[in-house]
Amino acid sequence: MVDVSRVQKELTECNRDREVSGVSIALHDGSTISHLTGTIAGPQGTPYEGGTFVIDIRLPGGYPFEPPKMQFITKVWHPNISSQNGAICLDILKDQWSPALTLKTALLSLQALLSAPAPDDPQDAVVAQQYLRDYSTFSATARYWTEAFAKNSSTGMEEKVQKLVEMGFPEDMVRSVLKSVNGDENMALEKLCSG
Amino acid sequence: MASEDGCGGGNPPGDAAAAPPVWNAAPAAGAGCGDLEEDLRFQCCVCLELLYKPVVIACGHMSCFWCVHNAMHIIRESHCAVCRQPYKHFPSICQLLHHLLIKLEPVEYKRREKEVLEDEKRVDTYSPQIIEFLNSKSNNCEIDGENRPEESNSRPPQEVTSDGNTINGHPKKVKLEDVSCALCKELLYQPAVLNCGHVYCMSCLSSLDDGALKCQVCGGLHPGDFPNVCLDLDHFIEDYFPAEYDLRREKIKLLKGECNQGSSSGTSCTKEGRGRPTNKENRAHQDDDLSDVHIGVGCDSCGMYPIRGKRYKCKDCTELIGFDLCEECYNTESKLPGRFNQHHTPDHRMELDHSALFNRLMRLQGIHEEGPGEIIIEGAFVAPDAVVHIIADDHEEIEDNGEDDHLL
Repeated sequence: MVDVSRVQKELTECNRDREVSGVSIALHDGSTISHLTGTIAGPQGTPYEGGTFVIDIRLPGGYPFEPPKMQFITKVWHPNISSQNGAICLDILKDQWSPALTLKTALLSLQALLSAPAPDDPQDAVVAQQYLRDYSTFSATARYWTEAFAKNSSTGMEEKVQKLVEMGFPEDMVRSVLKSVNGDENMALEKLCSG
Repeated sequence: MASEDGCGGGNPPGDAAAAPPVWNAAPAAGAGCGDLEEDLRFQCCVCLELLYKPVVIACGHMSCFWCVHNAMHIIRESHCAVCRQPYKHFPSICQLLHHLLIKLEPVEYKRREKEVLEDEKRVDTYSPQIIEFLNSKSNNCEIDGENRPEESNSRPPQEVTSDGNTINGHPKKVKLEDVSCALCKELLYQPAVLNCGHVYCMSCLSSLDDGALKCQVCGGLHPGDFPNVCLDLDHFIEDYFPAEYDLRREKIKLLKGECNQGSSSGTSCTKEGRGRPTNKENRAHQDDDLSDVHIGVGCDSCGMYPIRGKRYKCKDCTELIGFDLCEECYNTESKLPGRFNQHHTPDHRMELDHSALFNRLMRLQGIHEEGPGEIIIEGAFVAPDAVVHIIADDHEEIEDNGEDDHLL
């Protein structure tokens, strides 16, 4: 059973200085505390600068004695993050987890991971190879992905909403689904169709 | 022993249930020296609440009783949640800290007590109901008979001995004797906590250490590494009793100087690099071979968790968690009451338990598929080098199993 009172404390604590830290956490949907959504600001001076990255957080029953399960929802080009499904390769989310770590420190570690990739221990071999062999292409790709997926300009958003609403989906549902997939039109459509 | 209100030392100023769950409200009401900083100081790093029944690990970091226990690895050695230093024994509750917190945060501590008790009822396993300073009291009485502070928290401030015991004319909630060393009886300076939960100045502890570290209060042997200073407690004492702490610092500096001049390094007063003399190689080998591990079973005397080697199980304890001893504790006289408030008594019958899961697993493997288990059993007949090799190979497989078990 998840330690509810600890998670609530963590949420308050993390969101208190969200402007400074650049990370924040919210309930995914109001119903359960074991499913959360985190956001981290792309660190300055990296190809991820200016982007906002959304992370799906699921707390196992043993939390905080077991690590939280984290996965990028926002598509990101990074050696330690799968470009396909957002899976993360980071030791503290696996065997190096400690109950003294928190969701905030884990998100800050992800932010640090964005600043300092570890291509020798890759999650995405293709990205890692590119990082090692052709850094400039890697950097350009990462920047492009940040631009394309991690920055949701509000005008583009409205267009997407309109488009999906015209297909016959209710507007509030469209907005919430678009938000949950961070503005990815195709994924939103897929989600809406699957129910 | 199992009275529900075991922490009778508290002096709750109101019904804890009615009090708001904001614990920095308590210092404001009670004119202590509480502020936001203090709140964080005695916050458990695991549950992020006020420490309840604090346990101090050899590295000097502390958490609540259950937080430490739940964070311990059920198969292998555990690592401190803060500094990752390995440890193998579940320490006893530090009663000094327990009573300190009762005095500092009576309302919140009471609330935590209720909360934890609810959880304990749910799983039908209880943390020790603290018997008021059972050991140290008798010890104190030898030194000075009038010293019975733990029963009556609400002593009038006139009894206070030195000027340092008041803040702005209000009596301090914590008295000097509440944070005194179990050996020198003076204010703790650089306190370190033994596995049994008793607290000493680091300098006093260093003077004790001659091979095996034995607690002067309860007689318990301290297993594992030489303890580090509990910095949270040290900083608290320094802030709370600044003048007295400075005096102690001066005094110990002086002593240290003498001791350094006297014998060059006979009893060096530093804590660095002082571990109990253990055979490192032997230890490493033990860690690799998991066949004798009693998964999730701890020794109720020394706290070894999980038990390695022989395990003795009580046949008469009816509690869910049972009562178990490691071989070493079984063979020594002193047996503390159980770690989980069991009703174990000396006349209970103990039996050797053969249920080390890996042991059985290995034997099964050996029978069915001539697996590595058989090789290990026969290992004694192979050349020593070869044995090491086989065990090492085997270890990986075992570890994998272990991981799976753990994840499930």
